[in-house]
Amino acid sequence: MVRKRERLEIIHDILHAIQEKKGKSKPTHILYKSNLSHQMLSDYLAELIRKEFMIEVKDKKGNKMYELTDKAYNFLKDYQIIKGFVDSYGLD
Amino acid sequence: MHLRIHFNTDSMVFINRLLKINQELSFIKFKKEKLITFCMVLTQIAPSWFFGYDVILELLFAIISLVISIFAFKIYKKTSQNSIKIFGISFILISISYFIQSFLNFLIISKLTEKICIAVKIQSITSFNNFGILAHILAMTIGLSLLTYITLKQENLKLLWLLIIIPLSAILLNTNIIYMFYLIASILLIFIEIYFISNFLKNKQIKTLLVAIAFFFLLIGNLHFLISVNHQIFYAIGHILELFAYIFILTNFYLVLKNGKKKRAS
Repeated sequence: MVRKRERLEIIHDILHAIQEKKGKSKPTHILYKSNLSHQMLSDYLAELIRKEFMIEVKDKKGNKMYELTDKAYNFLKDYQIIKGFVDSYGLD
Repeated sequence: MHLRIHFNTDSMVFINRLLKINQELSFIKFKKEKLITFCMVLTQIAPSWFFGYDVILELLFAIISLVISIFAFKIYKKTSQNSIKIFGISFILISISYFIQSFLNFLIISKLTEKICIAVKIQSITSFNNFGILAHILAMTIGLSLLTYITLKQENLKLLWLLIIIPLSAILLNTNIIYMFYLIASILLIFIEIYFISNFLKNKQIKTLLVAIAFFFLLIGNLHFLISVNHQIFYAIGHILELFAYIFILTNFYLVLKNGKKKRAS
């Protein structure tokens, strides 16, 4: 049985998927890598933009892409520490 | 042991009317065969051999709570998660509460209370101590209420206000404020401890176990303060149990940092 992911874990998977593409990625790649439904992904992306983890940009062809901010990079860098703290107090 | 009680009538009348206090009792510790001004609700009697140690321990608890709080705010800055922000606020309030308690006890032991009252033109030592004790109670109660709110996993401001107002009302409108404070704190800690135990059962790691044990010691320590009204030794035991709790909290904090940095390096 697949373990249910916590919210922070999902955010990490999304940001990591974008990081793999050198910090900028199309929604389809994120959808594939994050293993979320389209609706759930849309909700998470909207939240991450609102909380300034990423910004929406357009490529040369006018396609929508998502680019990571410094806040996202800091999150990814300290993810293990953040996860450890959040897990120990059940704050997720 | 014979006690004589002095009152500064003006401030006492005001405070006692507000709090409906039992005038024979006080939060302040006293030394044997020494006359000290009493006011407040309940006497918390410390064994004489423990004087000074409680000041140091409370200061230590304040510092550890402050460290956890600051770290929580750093994590909040990286995650923008509300539960972490509330967690940080709760621990900073708990830290403030311990700082006040330590400071008040230090003043009593060092006999500086009277000099401070003269310096800041406070009419009575009792008023000064009263406000200090109330601040300690307010900060700790709100801190624990916030922690309880987090454990309920409900994002509802009305619930949060209820969790703050009801305990504070029960404490402040009671004739025996200190006793009611420790009783309410114990009830809140029971809820908090149940949550941390279920967190450990859901996620069996050393870190979650340490937190569950820490809050268990905090709960048991708090229950000892409840009994310490009539039995001096429990005041000291309560502090020692709290010390164990904060050692576990600090150990967990160290492990979080150590494991996080190790995984980052790999």
